[in-house]
Amino acid sequence: MTSTVWLAGESALLPSRIQMAFTLASHVLLVPLGVALPSLTLLMEGIGIARNDPVALKIARRWSVVMAVQFAVGAVTGTILSFEFGILWPRMMGRFGAAIGLGFAIEGLAFFLEAIFIGIYLYGWERLPRRTHFMLGLVLPPAGLLGAFGVLSANSWMNTPGGVTLQAGRLVDVNVIAALFTHALGYEFWHFLIAIYMTAGFAVASVYAVAWLRGRRDHYQRLAFLVSFTVAAALTPVQLVVGDLSARALVTDQPAKFAATEVTWKTRDHNPEVIGGLIDDSGDVRFGIAVPVLDSILVGYSPNAVVRGLTDFAANARPSTVEANITHLAFDAMVGLGTAGAALAAWYFWVLLRRRRLPESVWFYRLAALGGVGCYLAVEAGWVTTEVGRQPWIVYGLMRVSDAVTSAPASFVWTMLATLVVVYALIAYFFVTLLLRLAARWRREDLKTPTAPEEGVPYGPRPARFPEPGS
Amino acid sequence: MNLIALSLLLSITAYSTAGGVDFGAGIWDLLAGTSARGREARALIDHAMAPVWEVNNVWLAFAIVLCWTGFPIFFQSTFTSLYPLFSLALIGLILRGAFFAFRHVADEPRAHRIADLVFGLSSVLTPFFFAASLGAIASGRVGIAGPSQSVLAASFSPMSISFGLVSLAATAFSGASFLVGDARRYGADELVRYFRRRAVTAALVLIAMGSVALVTIGFQAPTLFRSMLAGPGLPFALITMIVTPLVAFLHWRGIFRWYRVLTVGAVGSMVMAWGFAQSPYLLPGQLTIAQAAAPPGTQALLLIVGAALVLVIAPAMALLYYLDQRSALDVPKA
Ligand code: HDD
Ligand code: HEM
Ligand code: HEM
Repeated sequence: MTSTVWLAGESALLPSRIQMAFTLASHVLLVPLGVALPSLTLLMEGIGIARNDPVALKIARRWSVVMAVQFAVGAVTGTILSFEFGILWPRMMGRFGAAIGLGFAIEGLAFFLEAIFIGIYLYGWERLPRRTHFMLGLVLPPAGLLGAFGVLSANSWMNTPGGVTLQAGRLVDVNVIAALFTHALGYEFWHFLIAIYMTAGFAVASVYAVAWLRGRRDHYQRLAFLVSFTVAAALTPVQLVVGDLSARALVTDQPAKFAATEVTWKTRDHNPEVIGGLIDDSGDVRFGIAVPVLDSILVGYSPNAVVRGLTDFAANARPSTVEANITHLAFDAMVGLGTAGAALAAWYFWVLLRRRRLPESVWFYRLAALGGVGCYLAVEAGWVTTEVGRQPWIVYGLMRVSDAVTSAPASFVWTMLATLVVVYALIAYFFVTLLLRLAARWRREDLKTPTAPEEGVPYGPRPARFPEPGS
Repeated sequence: MNLIALSLLLSITAYSTAGGVDFGAGIWDLLAGTSARGREARALIDHAMAPVWEVNNVWLAFAIVLCWTGFPIFFQSTFTSLYPLFSLALIGLILRGAFFAFRHVADEPRAHRIADLVFGLSSVLTPFFFAASLGAIASGRVGIAGPSQSVLAASFSPMSISFGLVSLAATAFSGASFLVGDARRYGADELVRYFRRRAVTAALVLIAMGSVALVTIGFQAPTLFRSMLAGPGLPFALITMIVTPLVAFLHWRGIFRWYRVLTVGAVGSMVMAWGFAQSPYLLPGQLTIAQAAAPPGTQALLLIVGAALVLVIAPAMALLYYLDQRSALDVPKA
């Protein structure tokens, strides 16, 4: 490789990383409702059919519209991601595409199924027999699961690459099963799956918590809140256990990442657990609260357990101090939000099981209204922990980010990044406007005769009548 | 050509035909003007493309994944050499998706006009730059792991531009042809005539553009030219040359039979003619399908996914199109 190519490559590194982080972080906001909302919708539809409850059916039908809009925007932002792999990281794809691609190929199959059956499900309301409609909808949750499996398998491969045979850096053989099911998949997949179901539940419940605070407390609101919040609250404690398993696994799988999450500088026993705080280049941690010995106990169940520190790794094989700080704060944010969610869930179940009714405290609904936002923050923080904590590696131990980056000039990538930021801002604006309008329309319709909820949605079914021009 | 390369070619063909109809509708939207008839045409276009939009997009995502998984070196080479083309196509793609949605949200007439304009323009940009990248590959200027000339020279050459122009004519042609069908379904006779005329015009432009492109290929990529007219590309090239005028004839005479299938056949064969003429090379003269292929394990998984796709997706997609055609006819209960 000539030095000019290398220099040009290095200069595009910063904008490329920012662009990747920006587009991924945007895309992943659409994932929870895209993957997990179908299950909640089907649950609600099932309740509606079993109890012959028109209100439940109406809720399900409206949720299905939100799910379709989410999916459509997710499809565009997701397609962009796959092109970015080629535009920003061509050398990673050239070297490892045959391994990373396995998960994505499976994901492609799942996307096809989802795109088709979301279309069918949306058309099918009132046009297909109720039970047939429900049965056709049952394809959606497993398809979403398969898609999540594909993406997470690819990401886990980047964290704990396996199943490949390299000769002089060239990939000569792939063991498909071993490459799909790498070690990190065992915790990343379950952790993420629970995260998106929690997020879908809390986000949907937020909407009805706000409605409760505004005084709308009829059967419609209560049923929608009960179903979505119960699902989310039941998953929250499970998530804490699975998250704990992830953290423990990192100790052996990616020790430098683990050291970054705990800002541990020197390898030692009796290691404190630092909450908050920033580490500097000499290894001092400032502003944080240190709980003595706790980290050693968490890792090895004993104060004498030895925890590896960042300085155990060569400076060019571990996260920089800035990256370690980002990883650490993101990790703390995730754990903090998870703990807060668990407390809220405990409150909820306490009232539900003891008094056999929904909580009536205004403060409960105020906190529940924040649950959705909190979950999205936790998901973003989780990905930051995973991705920034892996630095400087793009494929852990095998390829550095700086060796994978494009040879395009930095000015080109900066320009593209600026364009994308503008376009994404527009998309976000349209997306939110559309959802708010739907909500406003549905509220109006509850007062008079309704039209079909999915009418007027850009990617919904065609209305039966050809509209008057200009209407 | 092995099965995976064939699947890749088929995905590109599916995107060019199904997606092409969509882009073509966008082009007619751009050209509809502000007259009363233009407004009617726009309403029909909006109506016609909504339901299958996402499914079309999946073909593109699938082609990309097949490409990097099945032929990693080829993927690296094309993206390193042609990133300007892909970036422009990509920007077009998101603008198009966003402004298509925005048209439904915008109430204000001015905002609506801007949304129409951006949507129309991006319907031109996207197919042009995607097709241009195929032309750039065919021109032989994409080298292994980097361009054989500068990135700009690799991306913008007579070949890439002529491929881009052909794709515009082809999408306009298939868009108009399918819109004739949609207009008939709604019994909008005036619009049937409107799009029939446009389908004939676009077919003539396509024939002209295709001839220009063929001459360009003859000068710039003689090997490709030979196998297009005397090798494995020939059957497909012949189909295109015969069927395109045939569809124009059907529209001219107002014979509403087979025209949609034949439109897909004409455009699809054009893509296949390029693909088969270029095989066994992915990068003409430099990289063959066999040289670029991923290790056997990966290929096996791709074949399994491909088989599952055919077994599961084909019936599902048939169901979707069936329901779409049927449900547009009956009035849904609220
Ligand atoms: C399980 C979680 C998940 C995660 C972590 C990601 N995605 Fe995603 N993606 C989805 C779950 C998903 C989805 C929910 O299934 C989407 C949203 C809407 C849709 O079409 O499928 C989707 C859409 C989507 C599409 C569009 C498919 C289509 O046209 O229908 C592509 C190409 C990708 N994604 C690619 C990626 C890449 C390259 C990612 C990471 C680097 C990624 N996704 C992260
Ligand atoms: C299969 C899934 C994923 C793959 C293949 C992947 C791949 C990558 C790549 C190539 C980079 C750029 C190199 C780097 O800076 O590390 C990156 C960075 C990043 N990714 Fe992931 N990623 C995946 C999932 C995610 C998701 C879903 C998120 C959600 C937000 C995410 C968040 C980030 C962030 C924040 C960065 C920036 C890190 C930094 O530059 O310091 N990743 N990832
Ligand atoms: C006590 C609570 C938690 C702990 C100890 C924990 C621990 C972890 C760890 C160690 C990782 C990094 C895994 C890796 O790099 O491979 C991670 C990632 C992640 N976390 Fe958490 N977590 C907790 C709560 C949560 C909550 C409440 C959410 C969201 C609702 C969440 C969402 C995520 C996501 C989306 C990722 C990235 C993808 C993945 O690894 O699955 N976490 N978590």
